[in-house]
Amino acid sequence: MAPLLDIKDFSYAWPGETDWTCQRVNLEVNAGECCCLTGSTGSGKSTLALALKDMLPSGRREGKILFSSPTVKVGLVLQNPETQLFATTVGEEVAFALENQGVSPELMPEIVRDSLLSVGLDKDFNTPVATFSMGQKYRVLLASVLVMQPDLLILDEPAAQLDSSGLAELRVVLASLVKQGTAVLLCEHRPQVFSGLINRQWTMSGEKLSQYCSLGMSSFGQVDSPVQGHSENSLDSEEVVRVEGASAGTLVDQPLWCDASFALKAGQRVLIQGANGSGKSTLLRLLTGLIKPLKGQITVLGQQPSRKQLSGHLSFMLQNPQRQLFEERVVDEVSFSLRRKGISKSEREARSISVLHQCGIADLAERSPHKLSYGQKHLVTLASVIVGNPRILLLDDPFAGLDERFRQAVWKTMLNWSDEIKTTVIWTSHHDDEVPAAVDVLLTIEGGKIASSK
Amino acid sequence: MPLQSDMVHSLKQSQAESHQADRGFRIPVGINLILSLTLAGSAIALRSPYGLAGLAGVNFIYFFLNRSSWLLLWKAARVFFWQSLVLLLLHYLRFSVDGLVPGLRVSCQLFLAFLPGMIFLQGTNRSQLVRVTNRFLSARSAFVLGASLHFLPLMITEVKEIYQVQVLRGSRIHPCDIFKPWCWPDWVSCLIVPCTVQALALAGEIAQAAKIRDFGLCAQRTCWPETENHFKSKRKL
Repeated sequence: MAPLLDIKDFSYAWPGETDWTCQRVNLEVNAGECCCLTGSTGSGKSTLALALKDMLPSGRREGKILFSSPTVKVGLVLQNPETQLFATTVGEEVAFALENQGVSPELMPEIVRDSLLSVGLDKDFNTPVATFSMGQKYRVLLASVLVMQPDLLILDEPAAQLDSSGLAELRVVLASLVKQGTAVLLCEHRPQVFSGLINRQWTMSGEKLSQYCSLGMSSFGQVDSPVQGHSENSLDSEEVVRVEGASAGTLVDQPLWCDASFALKAGQRVLIQGANGSGKSTLLRLLTGLIKPLKGQITVLGQQPSRKQLSGHLSFMLQNPQRQLFEERVVDEVSFSLRRKGISKSEREARSISVLHQCGIADLAERSPHKLSYGQKHLVTLASVIVGNPRILLLDDPFAGLDERFRQAVWKTMLNWSDEIKTTVIWTSHHDDEVPAAVDVLLTIEGGKIASSK
Repeated sequence: MPLQSDMVHSLKQSQAESHQADRGFRIPVGINLILSLTLAGSAIALRSPYGLAGLAGVNFIYFFLNRSSWLLLWKAARVFFWQSLVLLLLHYLRFSVDGLVPGLRVSCQLFLAFLPGMIFLQGTNRSQLVRVTNRFLSARSAFVLGASLHFLPLMITEVKEIYQVQVLRGSRIHPCDIFKPWCWPDWVSCLIVPCTVQALALAGEIAQAAKIRDFGLCAQRTCWPETENHFKSKRKL
């Protein structure tokens, strides 16, 4: 029996590019099978997913993508749920594809209902999507693709945005779909979160998608190293952050979390863990002074946080950090904050090059930051926020979307700054399965409370 | 920036609440759209203080007819306050005391031009809007209009985040820096350029996501029907 999908020596280069993004890809996917495609950032996984959906522009291509029948339908869910949700209510959202296909409005509710049930969402059609958790939003997206009745369902980096409960919900839905005969192809950095579900896995080798081989389940390297947390004696006793009875959120009667109290010392490595929407980023923003707590006291470096007071002492890196890049050369991007401090050009360039060295990207100094890969941009942004040797470094989900190589590079830099500069490094994560041994303080946000441990 | 974000948040929240609320009398969406556009247009056309005061009264009635939330009005009033402060200051710098009354008039006009749109969007969901705009726009244009309004809060959040992180990097883009011409290059390079790049990236992602779900397949799209607890009633059967 012919496989549902048979890719033979497929290569593709984006218009205007000389290098192949995918090169000589060979793989097969059968109906009722869950397969996983792993590989480093920029290796072409998303490009291949778009090729299977016939969504690529007319670049250079070779090889063939064959389906078992011309009627085979492909469904694709992209990485960021927020840019794929078009409607206000669940019913409208799931019906979007049906509207586009010209399906009669009378038939829509029945199809939408079946789709919602297939992803385990027992919700009224008029339920606002905005009230859903990220995991539920992802299932709404799945339902809105399933209304097209795909034979092959492709999910691009599903684990990147979902917390543990969201992933658990997704695993149940995928297992059910596979059981019903739908083929599932996951393009995923962290295949281990779907272990037990994946039948076959293809891993990229080398810099390009030169070959695929069927492998057993391999473990994804965690951001860890033999480095252990600091001992009490090795740490400076200086307190840099104190939070007392603080509550945060947009509405006073509905705080994201309340009555939080903890203290952090100079040089500590602090991990803030919590589910999507639990208030991790809000906590970071409170520490920057950009927003105020609903109640309670927050003291950073001995004072209430404010922009003027913290300028030069505290740095903040956003999730998806390449958004903040704007200069023409990497070295200019990195030295920007030094320029604003009035440091001479020669000194700021020397310090920037030194930081780039420590981040392992000194060779990119003269390149345009806008033309780098995702992982390289990530490191450039990190270099640009640590170049001023801040006393406190806040990183919002710094490993999101990074492959193993860049995760380790970011991790190494974080450890260096904590050890050598005595920077208090505070970062967030929604994956509760990853607590590196080097963490000194673990702040867990759960049920509207912040618990401090370690 | 935080004020804008608060307003978007309250707009989204009250939109969500209004969809869950009981559905009593509502102004038909088409008429509501025309009313909203007329009121916004009047704000630009009217210049006399009495005219603007009268228009504010009409807007208040429009606000009640749409059963909008007080939170929206409160947030809008805060924006109006700060906007007036900036405009009055600019007019004072340019025209001295003589510029204060015209400055206040411009601020009122701006506020009354945007308020009807905010009230309209709060009580109207995308499918209702698309259904109405489909009558005089192509399916593609109607979708683009609906999607642009839908993703506006997301874009404003992006702008806010980029602004905050650039401020922490030392960019001279604090509100008080508006009055310092030597800081203007920072507004362009640190805020406008990254925001434009991000807006284009978001637009690309949204367009791709729409195409993946067969947008553009049919020349004339159909539209999701108004449903009243359809899911529950079907299941009971």
